[in-house]
Amino acid sequence: MKRAVDSMTAGELAALGKERIPDIFQSSRHLIYSSPATLAFNSPGAQGFGVKRAGLAVPGSVMLLVAPGCCGRNTAALNALGYRERFFYLLLDDTDIVTGRHLNKISQAVREVVDSLEEKPTVVMICITCVDALLGTDMERVCRKAADAAGVPVRPCYMYALTREGRMPPMVHVRKTVYELLEKRPRKRTAVNLLGEFSPFMEDMELYAILRGLGVKEIREISRCRDFEEYLSMAEANFNIVLNPECRPAAEDIRRRLGIPSIELTRLYQIDKIHRQYELLGGALGTMIDDSPWYQAAWEKVEAFKAAYPNTRFAVGEWQNGNAFELSLALLRYGYQVTEMYGTVTPDQFVYIRKIAEKSPNTRIYSNLSPTMLNYDRGDSEVDVTIGQDAAFYHPGCPNVPWNQEEQPFGYAGLGRLFEALLAARGGQEPGEPQGRGKTAADQPDGISGEKERREKKIPGGSV
Amino acid sequence: MKGLLKYLSPFAPDQSGAASVLYDMGGLTIICDAGGCTGNICGFDEPRWFLRKSAVFSAGLRDMDAILGRDDRMVEKIQSAAQKLDAGFAALIGTPVPAVIATDFRALARMAEKKCGLPVLTVECTGTRLYDEGEADTWLGLFQKFAEDDTADRSKTERENFAAGGNRTEKRTDGGPERSDVPENEKQRTKDPVGVIGMTPLNLSRLDAAGMVREKLAGKGCGPVFCYGMRDGLETVRKAGEAAWNLVVSPSGLKAARYLEQRFGTPYRMAYPFLDEALTEKLRTVEGKKILVVHQQAAANEIRGEIRKTSEAEITVGTWFLLDEEFQEPQDAHLTTEESFAEFVAEGQYDLIVGDRMLKRALKDYKGMWLHVPHFAVSGELEAENAAGDKV
Repeated sequence: MKRAVDSMTAGELAALGKERIPDIFQSSRHLIYSSPATLAFNSPGAQGFGVKRAGLAVPGSVMLLVAPGCCGRNTAALNALGYRERFFYLLLDDTDIVTGRHLNKISQAVREVVDSLEEKPTVVMICITCVDALLGTDMERVCRKAADAAGVPVRPCYMYALTREGRMPPMVHVRKTVYELLEKRPRKRTAVNLLGEFSPFMEDMELYAILRGLGVKEIREISRCRDFEEYLSMAEANFNIVLNPECRPAAEDIRRRLGIPSIELTRLYQIDKIHRQYELLGGALGTMIDDSPWYQAAWEKVEAFKAAYPNTRFAVGEWQNGNAFELSLALLRYGYQVTEMYGTVTPDQFVYIRKIAEKSPNTRIYSNLSPTMLNYDRGDSEVDVTIGQDAAFYHPGCPNVPWNQEEQPFGYAGLGRLFEALLAARGGQEPGEPQGRGKTAADQPDGISGEKERREKKIPGGSV
Repeated sequence: MKGLLKYLSPFAPDQSGAASVLYDMGGLTIICDAGGCTGNICGFDEPRWFLRKSAVFSAGLRDMDAILGRDDRMVEKIQSAAQKLDAGFAALIGTPVPAVIATDFRALARMAEKKCGLPVLTVECTGTRLYDEGEADTWLGLFQKFAEDDTADRSKTERENFAAGGNRTEKRTDGGPERSDVPENEKQRTKDPVGVIGMTPLNLSRLDAAGMVREKLAGKGCGPVFCYGMRDGLETVRKAGEAAWNLVVSPSGLKAARYLEQRFGTPYRMAYPFLDEALTEKLRTVEGKKILVVHQQAAANEIRGEIRKTSEAEITVGTWFLLDEEFQEPQDAHLTTEESFAEFVAEGQYDLIVGDRMLKRALKDYKGMWLHVPHFAVSGELEAENAAGDKV
């Protein structure tokens, strides 16, 4: 018997509003389906950067996972990525998880780990899991004791899946943890940190050039720090740019401890919004930023795809480097169709959902986590290309751009690369098709706002 | 230090074993966790997960669910899923969270059965034990709950034939220790089904095992084969009493096999008919006077038996997993820690170790030869030619 799959159209969802999000989109109200499309949700440690891998972002660090064996099982998957020598495990038995007696063993375990290494680690990260969340372990105290015993800094990493939807989810917490070793240093006016991700941003990201144009000489990211000293020099920054909202508490902690302020920028795929964001950044920094070369380059890539495949129908997933709703809205505004989306509906997303509903009320929205996704059958759904690894799972055989690469996309560079990838996924330029150069946003069916306005204002170069 | 792993990664835990047994059973499998355990199970320990769908869910526990013991919420979630999906039963698998808060699984099962109208099996895993213990509890639970009585006498004649044809532990003619194998004796052949217990990718490191064992048993004149846990679902478990005899391919299946023997009089034997020709060839040409085989006990015994066909070497089986007295030789050892493993190997002065190469990392001083035989529960590595999928 064919069973139904829970979903709603964008129009239906927008009509309900953020105050009445249906249970099918609230993961706390149903069992959570486990499919390859949800791997990044259910086990971030196995895919991309979960707490374990993220905790090792500090150069020269090692990690001791203090947990039942099950919590460290998939860590072997990281061996191939060069982490083989950096993970250690103190496995808990049944008595440990009930009495908490393992806490008395941690200092000795840290000492044994440090002694077994040829080179002393810069820090030992102690990763604890749901067991200690429930036991209410005071890890700060445990870490201080272990640090005294081993003679190296020891810091806690909280892999508390139980608090995933709490005030401080694990991936937010670990972003704060990895900057906690920074100590106050004299600030340099020409130094800036980019916070938010654990792998580098695209080399051709325009933000690097824009910052250099503003006189910034040192742009540091934790993932590009070659050694511990370089990591420590992040404390010299004049200001931080937060490029992932999960890093807000870390930036706030740095501001409080080291006096470094921060500015937040959002990863966007709507070209006019990217432009607007740089205008606002310029305003905050007291200057004007000329982003026109990058804008034009990105726009040409959007147009090249449009010229080759003007009526593309997309399915957009959430397992990719972007906000599924913002990306879908961008595609709709560029004049494409978005047939299906797989996303986590939260009140914050309604700013996009409402606009998606205006442009495409029949776009169907699914939750990857719904048990009924077991029944999902692509059937005769009209999709030409999918974005996101989860979308690829639902539409096997359909051209796909996973867009979940470790090199982080941002700004115009990210937008341009996405459309290059889409063109490649669909087989490149079709013979005889025009490239579409020379078209502007105003030529779009709905005209992406901002393009014309920006040109009319003739914003000058922003170097200072 | 006990419990400290400096070189190895943790082996597959009990909840992965339980989920693996249930993967092809056609029920709702609910991991009582916050999400991470489910990700570990599916994303790492269940290679079939990438090939075909199964109703595996996380209960999605949050801190207040655990602190307040909100079992009623979990039951509501199960009820909601059961209404929307086709499933013959539900299984609740424990993890460290319910272990810490001492969840009463029996009460939870009763509540869920009442609300959902589905039979509910519970497996009280803790995440601290190894996969084979989780498997053992799950197989036992499945047969206890679902095997039907009215089929129990169908195979009486065949069972008598099986018993007449030789015991599950054949004595070696050279007076050496016992070795198990697929039955050769004409009298053991039967047209009634043969049950195979212990089949999971974690034990067998291959996905084509169901086809392989069916082919081998058919070649020996056996009837249909119930591949419990791989390809065959709850229907075969219900008919377990029809089996003329049970083939146990991992010690994790012994608890259930002994239960079925007691309940239906079904005899069993332990064997591992999954050594491929390439490996068999290598095993017949190995050199060395002292050999250590490290694997799950059924596989290790089979490897030992194969080597003995051409070698007089002194062979020891070592295992990190269940070591059943009925099938062990005096020199065999249960391995527990990295340090004791290294000491055991150093003292044994082995010329050759047969086992998963991941274990080499714990043996920095070992200078002998190594023959790699993957064990999925150890390294997450499948037999190379098996990664693509099941031939069945």
